[in-house]
Amino acid sequence: MNATIEDVPQRRSAFRRLFRDGAALLALAVLAVIVAAALLAPWLAPHDPFATTRQPLLPPVWNEAGQWAFPFGTDGQGRDILSRLLYGSRLTLLMGLLSVAIGGGIGMVVGMLSAFYRRIDPFIMRVVDVLLSFPAILLGLAVAAIFGTGVTAIIIALAIATIPDVARVTRSAAVVVMGQDFMEAGRAIGLSDATLIRRYLALNCISSVFVFLTLRFGQVILIGAALSFLGLGAKPPSAELGMMAAQGRDFLFFAPHVATIPSLTIFLIVLCANMVGDALRDVLDPRLRR
Amino acid sequence: MAQHVLYRLLLAVPVLFGVLLLGFLLLQLVPGDPATVIAGPMAPPAVIEEIRRELGLDKPVIVQFFLYLVRVLQGDLGHSLISNTSVIEELAAAVGPTVELMVACLVWSVPLGIAMGTVAAVRQGGLLDRVIMAFSVAGVSMPIFFIGLLLMQYFGFVWQLLPFIGRGGPLWSIDGLRHIVLPAVSLGLIFIGPVARMTRTAVLEVLRADHVRTARAKGLREKTVVLKHALRNALIPVVTLVGLQAGYLLGGAVVTESIYSWPGVGRLAVGAILSSDFPLAQGAIMVLALAFIIINLIVDVLYAVLDPRVQRS
Repeated sequence: MNATIEDVPQRRSAFRRLFRDGAALLALAVLAVIVAAALLAPWLAPHDPFATTRQPLLPPVWNEAGQWAFPFGTDGQGRDILSRLLYGSRLTLLMGLLSVAIGGGIGMVVGMLSAFYRRIDPFIMRVVDVLLSFPAILLGLAVAAIFGTGVTAIIIALAIATIPDVARVTRSAAVVVMGQDFMEAGRAIGLSDATLIRRYLALNCISSVFVFLTLRFGQVILIGAALSFLGLGAKPPSAELGMMAAQGRDFLFFAPHVATIPSLTIFLIVLCANMVGDALRDVLDPRLRR
Repeated sequence: MAQHVLYRLLLAVPVLFGVLLLGFLLLQLVPGDPATVIAGPMAPPAVIEEIRRELGLDKPVIVQFFLYLVRVLQGDLGHSLISNTSVIEELAAAVGPTVELMVACLVWSVPLGIAMGTVAAVRQGGLLDRVIMAFSVAGVSMPIFFIGLLLMQYFGFVWQLLPFIGRGGPLWSIDGLRHIVLPAVSLGLIFIGPVARMTRTAVLEVLRADHVRTARAKGLREKTVVLKHALRNALIPVVTLVGLQAGYLLGGAVVTESIYSWPGVGRLAVGAILSSDFPLAQGAIMVLALAFIIINLIVDVLYAVLDPRVQRS
């Protein structure tokens, strides 16, 4: 118990330090705006993201031929790019969030069990080592080959790829917690293993895991977008940023905005996520620094 | 050192087994039975029956896996459903270009990344440090296809400086060199960031070490201190960390190959998956996994050679 109580003032100053980091704060604000825009897509989108018009490949407004009705222009089928961008960000963010949440949840449980029950620890860690030998992109290819292409396949692959790393991070944090007096005390007053893990171990590991997952989020989105770009993810006509970039590839030389605008959006999301993750790590969990 | 290398080799065995299991599962889990998949959708029932017997599909799964292992070890990965050429032949033709691309990328990006990381560490907190680190964060956050498409549009199409489709021939020919520039630059640009970042951290750590203070106290020039005393020691962790990024590089290569129609294993894998060419997809994915294992092994051995302390562990 003591450890958690002592943590409080330290953590408060940590957040204060985070708010002093101007660049990270800006990144957080941009990310919040993008997430809000994605959430509000049905209300913000000026057009139906799937409706085609008679004006394909209309340039964006900063180009002379652009029209204000379509601020970012239209794609190859005459669909409004701004509207597709809003809906596409939704799917891309959801894909990243779900894989990080599923992979992070399973990885955390595995890591905690590994630290709690020392007898199964070597076995679990060997399995984790083997899993680590499969890079995310390969898992993505394999899952797509087995279950067919689609958003679900990508989420499964990215979640599996996240498990071993999170398990490792959790385990190293949990091993430290296991050595604390309050774990011994909890056991002495007769708490069950499940309670010990849930109330004490999990709460004390969560900040490390959270920092790691924030850093992971950007990477996951990048890999997911790459898989979608390759045609293994979202299927037309649905909108997903990586897929939109891939569709724009066909018109790259005479209407580059179709590919550039979604690519830039991915870049912005990942950049902000990475900056926020870096700043969070520096204040909350300097041990993760490499 | 031999012991360390041996341990690493032993550790690779379960991983290799995992790769083979993955390949096996890939054909097992595919909807429809493997014989139909291998024979192709148009095959007459008699052919399917024969393949079924040939593959031992009428036997228990364990036996099937064993038979599969024997086939793979004999180099028999089946035939492509689309072109009907043997998978092993297609893969053999694709491995060379992929290795070429990776080498062409590493050759310029790793030295540049190390140089940038060192400069950033020496000028810690300064303007140059911030610029280099900003570049590095941007590089890590950039979708590789975005870089590829931008380079393709400007250097390939608008300014007509370099070719951007396919491989031009062997690397010792002018045409071959011209064709590899854009793919190698695209892939390298996403790799500089992580390398610069790791080098900076490693050099900063070494610069705080006692022997560096001693070197400074002796009155050595700063250049000698940094290059001889700090960077040399910092390179050891950098080698390992570059190895850890092998997966990242592999992912980048798959996308780069697809963008520039580079005839490598990555493009082969993606094409096979998209056209449901299961035997070819299985082979290509296994080769990519194998490449990843080999890169990690090389890095481990290199690490042992560079750092005498590893011998004991």
